[in-house]
Amino acid sequence: MSVSEAYPERVLTLFQTTPGAGRGEAGVWYIGEAREPLSATHVRVHLQVDGGRISAVRYEVRGCPYTVAATALVAQQWTHGALGAVSLAPRALLGELAAPVTKLGRMLVVQDAYCLALQAARCKA
Amino acid sequence: MTVYLDHAASTPVDPRVAAVMAESLARGDANPSATHGAGRAARAQVETARAEIAALVGAQPGEIIFTSGATEADNLALFGLMRAVPARGRHLVVSRIEHRAVLDVAGRLEVEGCAVSYVPSGREGLVPLSAVDAALRADTRLLSVMLVNNETGVIQDVGGIAALCRSRDALVHTDAAQALGHIRMDLPSLGVDLASLSAHKMGGPPGIGALWVGARAAPLLEPMLYGGGQERGLRPGTLPVHQIIGFGEACRLARLAESTDAAHYQALTHALASHLLALPGVRRNGTAQACAPHLLNLSFSGVDGEALHASLIGLAVSGGSACGAARGEPSYVLRALGLDDTAAEASVRFSVGRQTTLKEIEIAAKIVENAYLRLLELAPS
Repeated sequence: MSVSEAYPERVLTLFQTTPGAGRGEAGVWYIGEAREPLSATHVRVHLQVDGGRISAVRYEVRGCPYTVAATALVAQQWTHGALGAVSLAPRALLGELAAPVTKLGRMLVVQDAYCLALQAARCKA
Repeated sequence: MTVYLDHAASTPVDPRVAAVMAESLARGDANPSATHGAGRAARAQVETARAEIAALVGAQPGEIIFTSGATEADNLALFGLMRAVPARGRHLVVSRIEHRAVLDVAGRLEVEGCAVSYVPSGREGLVPLSAVDAALRADTRLLSVMLVNNETGVIQDVGGIAALCRSRDALVHTDAAQALGHIRMDLPSLGVDLASLSAHKMGGPPGIGALWVGARAAPLLEPMLYGGGQERGLRPGTLPVHQIIGFGEACRLARLAESTDAAHYQALTHALASHLLALPGVRRNGTAQACAPHLLNLSFSGVDGEALHASLIGLAVSGGSACGAARGEPSYVLRALGLDDTAAEASVRFSVGRQTTLKEIEIAAKIVENAYLRLLELAPS
């Protein structure tokens, strides 16, 4: 089975291009981090906030193509979102990426990282 | 273009092999068991091929029993010897890093009342003689250990193990599917009693293999199938003449090119290993000191295995054995070498063939390097 047959096109695109990947550079960034030791999945999220909105999202991720794609997808969805309005549902992520249910644990790691970063940002805001 | 480095799973059929097989099919070779002229002509073709296979492994033609492949040969060796004696005294020893065709048979034999001991390997992928010595019992009938591991390429000290077993009156089977055509073999000198061989790992066609049966094992082996007297009564069924001819031709070619093939494989895997082992976090699985020249298994730390394999666009490699990949689980062979699940999943088996070029190795090395470094950069530090 080729890679293009093994994964949905949206997952492959996000996995291969990883838009927004990297660390927060200049300015204040709020960081959330989560990991799952068994699979060695590790996600670190950096949020920048301006006027009650998320102005930029950066991320670092070690995980399967679904984990990488989910982390990249949420970064896109949260950018320019209001701090009080953004949310993340792991089951919805599975559906959006057409991921197998066995990947739910990894989606929870993505959720944890984003929610911890959001929590830090809301506390400071 | 895809660079194919999965020859350990299956090699493309050598064009010269395909040509003689096509000739056989076009000729319409008869049933070689038939006594008429066409049957005798087909029989002559079969016996020529049998002699070629025997010559490659230092055996007598009459010791070669054709099967559908190495999996069936493994089954015939283990079931054929272990089922032939009463349950009492049926003790089998296998290494933990055997192919599933041996381990699953061992598991089935346990269900049938046999006692089975599983011998561990060391971190280098070698089965220690001391562990074999400890596992052998007074009632051990058979020990099975593969000659070249299909995942790591490590060459076991089968000669030493066989000598130990002979001193304890136990028979020895070796799965030599990855060894045939890749390392020099003289089965009688090796001291084993049975050996499984496969055509499609060395330029021959899939669907044909053989079990070599030495003099000690021959009177003890019983068939698994019944229905005809072919293959000395050990493997009934009409012989597939064109496949046997292809297997024989592949062995003839391997014998003629033995030294050049080995040097070619060694140069390719050495070039690949030199490039990739220079990267941070890359290590070899299994010892380099005793490794078949066509195989290289590397683990890549710090990245997710599934992501690594998904990133190797344009490259046909595997994470372990093709049979293990079908199960979707981390390699039990690599775990037996001490790797955890994450490290086993982030491992890649590269295997080269006669047609592989140095240019392809350079392309492959660059694909792997780029994919690995990208994933490392993406990961949290």
